[in-house]
Amino acid sequence: MVDASTFLSISIAGIGLGALYALVAMGFSLIYKVTGVLNFAQGQLALLGAYGVVIFATPAVLGLNLPAVVAVLLTIVVGLLLGIILERVVFRHFIGEPVLSVIIVTLALGGIISGFLRFLVGPNFMSYPDALKPGWSIDLPLGASIGASFTLGVVLSLVVVVSLMLFFRYTVTGSILRAAAADEQAAMVLGVSIERTIIIAWALSIAITSIGGILLAMASGGAGFTIEAVGIIIFAAVVFGGLDSIPGAFLGALVVGLLQEYGSFYATGVIGPGAGEIIPMVFLLVVILIKPRGLFGTERIERI
Amino acid sequence: MSRDDTTAQHPVVELDNVEIVYDRHFLAVQGVSMEAQKGDIVALMGPNGAGKSTILKMISGIGLTERGEVTRGSVRYQGEDTTNADTNTMVDKGVTHILEGRRTFEDLTVEENLRCGLYRGGRRLSYSEEDYELAFEYFPQLEDILDLKAGYTSGGEQQMLVIARALIHRPELLLLDEPSLGLAPKLVQDIFETLTEINREEDITMIIADQNAKRTLEIADYGYVLENGQVELQDPAETLKDREEIKEFYLGTSREEGRYTDIKHYKIRKRWT
Repeated sequence: MVDASTFLSISIAGIGLGALYALVAMGFSLIYKVTGVLNFAQGQLALLGAYGVVIFATPAVLGLNLPAVVAVLLTIVVGLLLGIILERVVFRHFIGEPVLSVIIVTLALGGIISGFLRFLVGPNFMSYPDALKPGWSIDLPLGASIGASFTLGVVLSLVVVVSLMLFFRYTVTGSILRAAAADEQAAMVLGVSIERTIIIAWALSIAITSIGGILLAMASGGAGFTIEAVGIIIFAAVVFGGLDSIPGAFLGALVVGLLQEYGSFYATGVIGPGAGEIIPMVFLLVVILIKPRGLFGTERIERI
Repeated sequence: MSRDDTTAQHPVVELDNVEIVYDRHFLAVQGVSMEAQKGDIVALMGPNGAGKSTILKMISGIGLTERGEVTRGSVRYQGEDTTNADTNTMVDKGVTHILEGRRTFEDLTVEENLRCGLYRGGRRLSYSEEDYELAFEYFPQLEDILDLKAGYTSGGEQQMLVIARALIHRPELLLLDEPSLGLAPKLVQDIFETLTEINREEDITMIIADQNAKRTLEIADYGYVLENGQVELQDPAETLKDREEIKEFYLGTSREEGRYTDIKHYKIRKRWT
C-alpha cells in the first residue's frame, strides 16, 4: 500500500496544506508573542479573508465586481484596517486589565465576525471568480505535482516566516516589540506605546491570516464556513512550535498539514473517516503532555 | 537650594505641593515639594514605602499604568506643566526612568537590550554598532557579552546594562530607582562612580532614589529624605551628611546613643508650610 510515489504525493499535499495553515498559525503566534493574548477568533479572521474576496469580487453580495487582484489586495487592506479599528474601539480599553479578559473578547469577536458573514453572504459555499481558480500546477519527480494555491501558500508562508524572523531579530522596532512582550513597563519607559504595539500586532496578524484564508478558499475553489475550523487546527501547530515562536508556528503547521494528509490517506481505512481531523488533535494532546512549551517556546530564565 | 528667579532657567523638574493617590483611595505621597536643577544629582532617601518610587513614577508617567494619579499640586518639567502626563510624552521630552529591580529584557541578548534604547517615540528605523559607543564608553564590560542573553548575566552586569540602555536613549533627565539594591558594595561603588562621570560628562540631570543613603549622598548635590509620603529633611548633600538624624538612621555613623524619640524634634520646618 505504501509506495514511494503515492507517499510523495501525499507528503506534498500535506506540506501545501500545512503552508496554508502556517499563515494562519503565524498570525496567531504574532499576537501571542507581542500582546500575550490567545486569539480564539483566528479561524473567523481567516474566514473573513476568504469571504472578503467573495464580497469584493463577485456581484452576488454588494453588487461589486472588482478584478480578482484588486479584491485580494482590498481584503488584505481591510484586514490591516480592522487591526487598527479593533485597537481603537476594543483593545485599548483593556490595557492594564488581565489578559484573560481580552481572550474572552476574542471569543466574542469570532462570534461577531462569523455571524456578520452569515448575515452578509449567507451560509452557502461561494465560488471564487475564475481568476482565483488557477488550474496550473508544478510537476515534481516521481509523477507528483503541486497545485497552484498550495504553491502560492508555500511561497508566501516562507516569505512571511523569513520576513517576520528578520523583523524581530534585526530591527529596532522588532526588538522593542519582543521587549514589550517581556516587560511592558520597562519597554514603556524606553518610549514604546502599548497602543502602537497592539496595532502593529493585530494589523499584521489579521493581514497575514487573511492571506491564509484566501489561499485556503482558493484550494477548494471558493469560500465556505468549513474554513472556520482552521482556528482550532492551528492550535496543534502553535502548541507544537511553542506559542510565541513564529518559526515554531510555521514548522508546527507543516507537521499538522502532513499529519492530516497522512491520516486521511493511510489511517482512514483503520480508524474510519475523520482520521485526518483526529490525528492532529491527538498530536496536540501528546505535545502538551510531553513538551508543554513546544519546540521553540520561550522558557522563563530562572536564576538561583 | 538657592534659586535665582530672575533667570530664565527653570529647574529640570519641579514638584509643587504634590499629592499622589493610587487607585483613587490609597494616599501615597502628600504635600511634597522638590526640585532638581540642571546638571544636579538629587538624592531621594528614606525607608521602604516612603514614597520614593512613587514620586519617580509620577515624574516619568509610568505611575499612571499602576493607577497612580497626582491629585493635588503640580509637576513641571523644564518649566512646562506635565502633571499626570503619560510616559510617552515624558520620553519624548527627554525623561528616562530606570525602574527598580534591574528590569532587563531577559530573553533578549545584551545587544538587543541596548538596541531597545534606540527606540524613542518610534522614529528610529536603522541602527549600527556605533550607536552603542556611548554605552561602551562607560561600561566597556558590556562589549564582551553582547551576544549573551541578558537573563544569564550577573546582577552587576544587569544593572550596568539597564543604565547603558537608558544612556543610549540620550535622556536629559535620568530617574534611577534603587540602583544599588542587592549588589555587592564594591559594585555599588563602581556604579555610583560611573553615574557621577555620566552626570558630569553628558550633562544628564539625575534623581536617584536609593535606600543606601550613604553612597547616594556621596555623589549627590542635593538630598531629600522622605518618610510616610512626606519630605522630612532636605538640604544640599554636604549639609545633609552632617545632620544627626541622617547619621543616626541612614548612615549609621553617629557615635551617640540615641533613640528615635530623642531625635524626632530635629525635624526641620517643612518648606511648603
